[in-house]
Amino acid sequence: MSRYAVNSLLYRLKKDRVFRTRFNVDPEGALAGLDLTDAERAAFLARDMQRINALGGYLHLVMSVPGMAAHVTHPEP
Amino acid sequence: MGKIVFAAAMSHVLDPDYYQAACGLSGRRKVEACMAEIGKLGDTLLAHRPDALIVVADDHLNAFSFNAVPAICVRIGRDVNRMIQDEAEAFDKVLDGMPERYALHEELANRILEDGLGAGFDLALSWEAPIDHAFLSPVMTMHGARPVTPLVPIWINCFVAPQPTPARCFAFGQHLARVVARSPWNVGIIATGGLSHFPELLLPRVGESDVVFDQKLLRWLTEGEHEPLRSLTPGELDKAGEHEFLNWMALIGAVTPARADVRYFGELGRINLAAVEWRVG
Repeated sequence: MSRYAVNSLLYRLKKDRVFRTRFNVDPEGALAGLDLTDAERAAFLARDMQRINALGGYLHLVMSVPGMAAHVTHPEP
Repeated sequence: MGKIVFAAAMSHVLDPDYYQAACGLSGRRKVEACMAEIGKLGDTLLAHRPDALIVVADDHLNAFSFNAVPAICVRIGRDVNRMIQDEAEAFDKVLDGMPERYALHEELANRILEDGLGAGFDLALSWEAPIDHAFLSPVMTMHGARPVTPLVPIWINCFVAPQPTPARCFAFGQHLARVVARSPWNVGIIATGGLSHFPELLLPRVGESDVVFDQKLLRWLTEGEHEPLRSLTPGELDKAGEHEFLNWMALIGAVTPARADVRYFGELGRINLAAVEWRVG
């Protein structure tokens, strides 16, 4: 697990619109060359924010990357 | 001689639409009730005609990237911009529509920084870091359409382990009080965030809050019992979802041994909303 690699990628996806667009169009190409484990790479390719959080991704990034953010809702009883 | 004329702490995602989307109509109603009390706190602040407003808050990995995460950082300079987030989602959206630039109280910020380094606080400084909802949502709820008091934004690292200890944040707050006392200014101070939410920062636990822990904290605050607070650990705060209480600890250090009055507390499951004022008059 590489907490830095996961979080720097989340941060870039949030703050760098050009990179975010590239990831949306060609996710495998955007992640090529990044220092990710197989599990981390798979989680990003699946856009699985719960898994990314479990792999060390900071919650506030997981909940705020445009287009990928995890939205947790709590319906009223 | 300067004086802290106003002190309050409050939740900092103050957006009825956000809470309605997350928690339904009861979420909207509770945050609106909390915001109404925070608006009254703004009236109290402005009645003191403060020269500056110190805002102790945290970064949500917006102002600082992973090239540096300061434990405590003082924003210096003449003004500060709000964070701009394209295609903003969730809590980032609350910034949309707010003014883009805010005046700082440059001299007070410089004194906090310079005197702090002289007193053994190895503070970080920033001329450029923007401020996000943790600062601006409470500030704008308090000021409304009125001119915003010159700000002194201070970040405490609440989320990226290892964080500063509650005791260290308390000591830093005592430093703030000493700087204000040596100054010629009337100063307000707010701490933002909380209360309990997002325990352990785990997505599956979003929706849980620790009401018992919150009630314990609020009892200590209202009774002026500050020693037990200094013994809290970052681990305890993490488990209880009280990460942002580190901001409150700095404020408590600045006003100790003042007692607090709870202006609002509302259980929402996702978060327990709160607004608290200290008797500093």
